[in-house]
Amino acid sequence: MSPLEIVILLPLLAALAIWLGAPARATSVGAAVINLLIVLGLVFGFQAASAGKAGFAFESARIVLDNPAITFGVGADGVALILTLLTSLVTLAAVWQIGDDKPGIYHISSLLIAAGALGAFLSTDVFFLYAFHELALIPTFLMIGLYGHGEPEHRKAVAWKTTIYLGAGSLVLLAGLMWLVLEFSGGGKLTFDLQALRAQAALTPLPVEKQAQIFFVLLLGFGTLVSLFPLHSWAAPAYATAPTPVAMLHSGVLKKFGLYGLLRIALPLLPQGAQVAWVQETLLFMLLGNILVIGLVTINQKRLDDVLANSSVMHMGYIFLGLAAGTEIALRGAVLLMFAHGVSIALLFALAGRMRNQLGTLELNKLGGLGEHAPAFTVLFAFGAFASIGLPGLANFAGEVMVFVGSFMNYGSASFGALQWAVVVSLWGVVMSAVYMLRACRNIFHGSAMTGLFMRDPALSQRLPLIMLAAVLLIVGCCPWLLLNLLKSDLAAVVAP
Amino acid sequence: MTPPAQETSASLPTLLLLLPFLTALSILIGHKLLKGASVVLSIASAALCFVISLMLLDARDSAPILLPFIEIGKFRIALDALIDQQSRGMMFIVTSIGLLVHLFSLGYMKDDEGKVRFFGSLSLFMFSMTGIVLAGNLFMMFIFWELVGLSSYLLIGHWFEKPSAAEACKKAFLTNRIGDFGFMIGILMLFMANHGDVSFIGLKSGFAEGPLHEMTQTHTTFMMLAALGIFMGAVGKSAQFPLHVWLPDAMEGPTPVSALIHAATMVAAGVFMLVRCSFVIEASPDAATIIAWIGGLTALMAALMATQQNDIKRVLAYSTLSQLGYMVMAVGLLAIQVSVSHHEAGPGHPAMFHLYTHAFFKAMLFLGSGAIIYACHHEQNIWKMGGLMKHMPVTFATFAIGTASLMGVPFITSGFWSKESILGVGFEACRPLFWVGVFTAMLTAFYMTRMFVITFLGKPRTENAHHAVEAPIIMVLPLVVLAALTVLSTFESFNRLLAAMIPNHAEGHPTVMIASIAALIIGSGAGFFLYKGKDSDPLNIKLFANKFYFDEIYAVIVKVLQDQLAWVVTGLERMFVDGIVARLPAFIAVRLGSAARVLTGGHLQAYTFLLGAGVLMVIYLVVFVLPQLGH
Amino acid sequence: MITLSHYLIVSGLLFALGLAGVVARRNIIIIYMCLEMMLSAANLTLVAFSRFHVLAGLPDYSAQALVFFTITVAAAEVAVGLAIIVALYRSKQSVEVESVTKLQG
Repeated sequence: MSPLEIVILLPLLAALAIWLGAPARATSVGAAVINLLIVLGLVFGFQAASAGKAGFAFESARIVLDNPAITFGVGADGVALILTLLTSLVTLAAVWQIGDDKPGIYHISSLLIAAGALGAFLSTDVFFLYAFHELALIPTFLMIGLYGHGEPEHRKAVAWKTTIYLGAGSLVLLAGLMWLVLEFSGGGKLTFDLQALRAQAALTPLPVEKQAQIFFVLLLGFGTLVSLFPLHSWAAPAYATAPTPVAMLHSGVLKKFGLYGLLRIALPLLPQGAQVAWVQETLLFMLLGNILVIGLVTINQKRLDDVLANSSVMHMGYIFLGLAAGTEIALRGAVLLMFAHGVSIALLFALAGRMRNQLGTLELNKLGGLGEHAPAFTVLFAFGAFASIGLPGLANFAGEVMVFVGSFMNYGSASFGALQWAVVVSLWGVVMSAVYMLRACRNIFHGSAMTGLFMRDPALSQRLPLIMLAAVLLIVGCCPWLLLNLLKSDLAAVVAP
Repeated sequence: MTPPAQETSASLPTLLLLLPFLTALSILIGHKLLKGASVVLSIASAALCFVISLMLLDARDSAPILLPFIEIGKFRIALDALIDQQSRGMMFIVTSIGLLVHLFSLGYMKDDEGKVRFFGSLSLFMFSMTGIVLAGNLFMMFIFWELVGLSSYLLIGHWFEKPSAAEACKKAFLTNRIGDFGFMIGILMLFMANHGDVSFIGLKSGFAEGPLHEMTQTHTTFMMLAALGIFMGAVGKSAQFPLHVWLPDAMEGPTPVSALIHAATMVAAGVFMLVRCSFVIEASPDAATIIAWIGGLTALMAALMATQQNDIKRVLAYSTLSQLGYMVMAVGLLAIQVSVSHHEAGPGHPAMFHLYTHAFFKAMLFLGSGAIIYACHHEQNIWKMGGLMKHMPVTFATFAIGTASLMGVPFITSGFWSKESILGVGFEACRPLFWVGVFTAMLTAFYMTRMFVITFLGKPRTENAHHAVEAPIIMVLPLVVLAALTVLSTFESFNRLLAAMIPNHAEGHPTVMIASIAALIIGSGAGFFLYKGKDSDPLNIKLFANKFYFDEIYAVIVKVLQDQLAWVVTGLERMFVDGIVARLPAFIAVRLGSAARVLTGGHLQAYTFLLGAGVLMVIYLVVFVLPQLGH
Repeated sequence: MITLSHYLIVSGLLFALGLAGVVARRNIIIIYMCLEMMLSAANLTLVAFSRFHVLAGLPDYSAQALVFFTITVAAAEVAVGLAIIVALYRSKQSVEVESVTKLQG
């Protein structure tokens, strides 16, 4: 029994227990804490466990079907471990901050989403990778539809739109994955095992044009799940309407699944596909759409939750930039940025949720002067806000700078290619994100207090998960090598600079 | 040559860097426990940093690695230090003025509720500024560049309940961010061109004999853009035109902040960086010309604006802008001179020297204005002061020394020597800019005399001024120390001790000296005669008083090019992207669904019709189509 | 000359009229009559083929025999069908075809 299987099963069992009547808060927080401790143990023991072994650590495989070969296989490499750590942190914060007045289904759905994400990140079998992600989508739909913010008609419409949109994307993704499985199943029977597919792809690589086509299909599929422009319109309403723990988990963790899939499946199996000119240019165009178009849309938003939701979509553009660059540094930067963005957006959504609970509104022109009476809250929000705009010393900067640097690695040249121009343009996004975040801070925390809107600092027990997230941002920001050392040669096999 | 002293291991610079950071972190986490002790902690760490910088003055040049940051294979971004004459001199300025401002704040912020937060932010600033000064590569400099922007945001917005302060700190950060955008592009371009090495030592050798040497001849546009990109960082940080609008508004922060950040250290970081990267600018004469002209333009424009300001801190703020313009202009001019004459520049640099002298007297002027504001019960309008010469003698004396130095009184003030060196370079490299510099010197004399006369001479104009007394000793002491430093920095031997980068004296161009002395006499004379004994301003030039309407123009630009564009883009995105990708398929699906509902309606006749149509189709297929396919 | 085509066209038109009536008319009884019209069109076709398909100087009488079958079946069908219509009228009190929607869903 691999520890990774325990990590995946624990939230499922906890959800089951809560459904059968266990005390909701104690069970879910307890399970999340135990999960986090196990994951931290795995992180510390990773260097030892994977020494001298190419491939995954902590592996185990249970055969489910023989032909086609589907196994419930789990294994962790650096990328998976970093994202698992992210999931455990965000899950703990999400379930901790659920108020006591909320029904048990909040806890159950959060745990199910967490289990789905963990299963997706830790699977070494394409079938289960896909299945676990779909598992995580169902609680999202239920929670947005039943307990979302706003009018019942509105939240039902948003729930439907999100689910159908993501479902359509998943279908495209499924088509792409099946295409891959069909192409790369050597040996007579279909196999879904990732290691086997990789080995076959190394033996018999496809012609470049075909690789580009399959890669594009996968890009569209995974891209919908990550809200890549122009397939992004489900994201902003979903996050603004979703209840806080669901927003935290979805935008912080579940969105990264698409990027993880591209890193884990698409890039190793189709290395030249990503670098073909038309694929590169389309990808660059799309991610610039994320950064510029959605950046401007975010500036136009008048409510904090809309600002945060749209900013989440915008920042995906930077991670895709790392994927487009394809160099080792850029890919590592993308992984680090995934982690950092997940933590920072979870922190911000948690704080926004608290604000909505206490103040009843998140309209920017109705708030003001909260800094005076809620200093700790202001500091925590500042951590999240400055992290998300890429201030050095907090985790997002390390990832972003690696992405930028990794795109400028054609040494000795004195002319800009498409990739370099894309970086120049996307750097303006850094200015735009500062504009909307600082405007939000100015409208919410600075200035004089509005009458009737008064907020106190959270009590210490409520403050702890938020402090935990902020501390993670600071520690990883000052010492990014803590996480980067976990990525050994996982990403080296992908495109050369 | 100074005799080589002890080896500079990495421990001293690391301690210098980390001490304020740890202080700020402790204050952040434990301020409830520490309470008043936080202030003591902050001042102690500032004092320790000062001591360490004194120790470093003696050390050898070195480039130790302090802390790792990112390391992947051969690629590395590390926090490494470059300790040479430039950084040692700058470090002395930063830590000495920092310590004095800490002491001054002890008195000035005594009754402020956010005192602990203020000192924590000051420590954070010291950490960031130390990082910039010590930085041995451009990435590290960028990291601390942004952190200085954060510290400035926190300090300017210290009294954030005031809407004007909240707006000012946001404006400062955003304007700096625009500069950082250009800075990062420049760094990335140099990174790419120099095969991944952006340490200062590596870049210098790259320009001397490495890959960049040829690129200077072959890819002139690339080099110019890289230099201008780097310059944009300085434009933001040192408030050059067109990103100068944040500096006057930054006066919303407490006066010690203005003294530390906006007079002596943070804004000087831009000039420091440009001098560090002088080889980049020298590689592109076009960029150097642009830089020189922007500096000159800023100097002139700010001086014009200063002549009509009525807030004591604003006059000083514009004066700082103007002097920064001088420094940037000097950077450009020296680069033009070097690239034209093709020989190595000497160890001195007129811009660094002026930075060095300016830091002392400007900080003192700001602290002096703080003392005056404190004494007049937080009154900042100079027309509500007057006659303070008798009431605040020490402040008057130190302010007089500072004013004299700023105006450049010949031979006896440090400001004269530094301004001379700049005008000297201008005379040789670019005549028009030389005359711009002289005219600006005249305006400087004019507005400083104006302010001095209105504030200190004549009779008190209000009750507050009448009852003003000298500030408490904790505030006066730093003033006296800074005055002493200003006076001492007139002497070359003192400057050498402090590793100031004194440029070689120009070969005595009499024109330069005559022009600058004439400018001084005309300017101060006009100021004196125009404003002596007056109670309101005889001149009323709206254009200068309203800062050339830049703020209004920028507000319109922001409104149209950003907010309205954002509104338009949001609408377009909703209509087209969301419309085509999401709502169009939904619409089609609904329509198709409605059409298909006919099948389940239970309409017998519809079924019959479909049956008939189906039969016809089958007949058609069997009789006409299938024979063609060969069945 | 009246050829086979003329008869076929006439019966085709008759069939089409019948079909149009079945699809378009609202009254069940009229639909039923149009149904009969379709049957008689088929009968006409059979008789025409019989008349013009000459076997040894005489028309092919097997088609005419088939016509008798058709008429008999039609008669039986009318009896059953009218009984159904009467039963429908008793339950629905209407001879509109729209009121018969049990196949809905």
